Amino acid sequence: MEKKSNTMNNKKRNIILICTAAAVVLILPWILTTDYQIMVMNKVLIYTVVVLGLNFITGLTGQMNLGTAGMFALGAYATAVAATSYGISPWIGLVLAIVMGLLVGRGLGYPSLRLKGVYLALTTIGFSEVVRLVAANWVSVTGGTTGIRNIPYYSLAGYVFDTQTKMYYLFAVFVAFGIFCAYRLADSKWGRIFKSLRDNADAVEMSGVNIASCKILAFTVCAIYGCIAGALYAHFMGYINPSSFTIDLSTNFVIMLMVGGLGSVVGNIFGAAVVTILPEILRVFENYYQLIFCTIVLVGAIFFPEGWMFAGIKVIRKMVKKLRKREHITGEMGGGE
Amino acid sequence: MAATIIQYIISGIAIGFIYALVGIEYTLVWNSSGLLNFSHDRLITLGAYIFAGTMIIKLNINYPIAIFLTFLSMGILGALIAQGIFNPLRNMRSNIFAVMGTMLLGRIIAELIRLIWGPVPFTLPGFMTGTVSIGSAQISKANIIIMIVSILVAVSLQLFMTFTKIGKAMRCVAQNKRASSLMGINVTQNICITTGISAIICTIIAILVIPLFNVTTTLAASIGLKGFSAGVIGGFGYLPGAIVGGLFIGVVENLSVLFLPAVYKDVVSFVLLIVFLVVRPSGFLGKRA
Repeated sequence: MEKKSNTMNNKKRNIILICTAAAVVLILPWILTTDYQIMVMNKVLIYTVVVLGLNFITGLTGQMNLGTAGMFALGAYATAVAATSYGISPWIGLVLAIVMGLLVGRGLGYPSLRLKGVYLALTTIGFSEVVRLVAANWVSVTGGTTGIRNIPYYSLAGYVFDTQTKMYYLFAVFVAFGIFCAYRLADSKWGRIFKSLRDNADAVEMSGVNIASCKILAFTVCAIYGCIAGALYAHFMGYINPSSFTIDLSTNFVIMLMVGGLGSVVGNIFGAAVVTILPEILRVFENYYQLIFCTIVLVGAIFFPEGWMFAGIKVIRKMVKKLRKREHITGEMGGGE
Repeated sequence: MAATIIQYIISGIAIGFIYALVGIEYTLVWNSSGLLNFSHDRLITLGAYIFAGTMIIKLNINYPIAIFLTFLSMGILGALIAQGIFNPLRNMRSNIFAVMGTMLLGRIIAELIRLIWGPVPFTLPGFMTGTVSIGSAQISKANIIIMIVSILVAVSLQLFMTFTKIGKAMRCVAQNKRASSLMGINVTQNICITTGISAIICTIIAILVIPLFNVTTTLAASIGLKGFSAGVIGGFGYLPGAIVGGLFIGVVENLSVLFLPAVYKDVVSFVLLIVFLVVRPSGFLGKRA
């Protein structure tokens, strides 16, 4: 009986949490005063999609993926080239990006995840560099280092998403859908296998699960999320060039994952927000802001490996417990009098 | 034509030795700590800046002492990195923390380089320049020095690993950390020493590539990545393998210019990496995984 009420309570709590989150997301553009701030929020949303995907392979399965920038770039270029050179609708470009993600996930996952070890980290980091090099040198298609200009905005039945606020709501829908899929997948049979792979791969293999194909699946999901985010980014910026898709971007995505805490979907959003917004705040330090940012994150990694948010929650819980204890004690003393 | 091909092969061997040294340097760290040092390209860059920017241009010290001082400072830095990042992060729930630790460190080093020495590339005038002609082929002196120094480094490292106590301990730790700590080897200290040696090899690479690439902030970006490929192609975690893999990549990559546009030269090593992972994941010399 108590258990039932507990799950009811949990459900209620979840509904309340989701409603408040939705309300915050809806109200945010009214609170933020400048277009620039909304643009930063849009970036947060796009990066959240990437991190949600990265969570599967790096967060849940525990395999290092350092080539997310390559996937991001591939998605962006697929839809940008289709839209500018062939006049294909961005929505079909999105499908193209998903196909790209599938190809990358299979093509890169097969050679590197069949083997045990750190091969994925090495191949993905190489892949990312190759994508950037090809984008910079295949001038006839990608425009070389000058990049692609005038990428059209998304439009739906004549309604063009051409301002930052409009795009914000569109991306929010994408992120909501991404979060929904991520939750469903993490709670599915596959999600549970992913988690167990991180904890004890040998035991999983002993239970008759083909761990290589599971890892490849997780990686493919990651690649698809990355490519979708890339496509969104292309139509959001309106202009892409190879210099924005460096290894530093891949590192940033993993930092987001790490700051938010590995394996948690809420943490992913938190991480994407912190890693995108914190450098903007630190810009007051001018030349030193990158240095300060990296140092903060490095120290954070050493002292709060469970993620900043969860470290914070832990501290608050401890404080609440202490307070309650104190209240309890004073209460008892009061009763004794 | 024949002379051009010979020239390509020789410069391929020279740059291949550089990849081999990179392979050796990260394999050492991998063997001792089970971690990949993703800040190694930035360490190479830092070595070049300390040597060229501070020791030679600013303080005007003569070359042998400058080289020695650079080795010393980089060795100490390597040991500090091991103590500050590898040792605390190596036993965490996931190796992501350690990998990210090294990547963040790399970014911090890159930022420091930009702040201390400025973003403008420079070079050391007259340092390892000039050419030697053998038959009809022209070979630059830098390439010859690279080959000689690399062979010396590889041989002396091998001797060090075979005959000294520290070297033997390093091989033990590479094989089995728990067993070697039970045998009284201080694994933590060993990781510090190994990372220090690895940082010194990074400095050697840095000094050798100054005449090839000048001193820039992106000095080691591509050789850092190709060193990883060299290690995998030769046999992951096996030092002689790194040398074979490095030479193979260097020569194939330089000959690829004959068939491919030169801009895609950097893609070759990655394609080789994927081909080897599919066809022969244990590499040239590695044991079957």
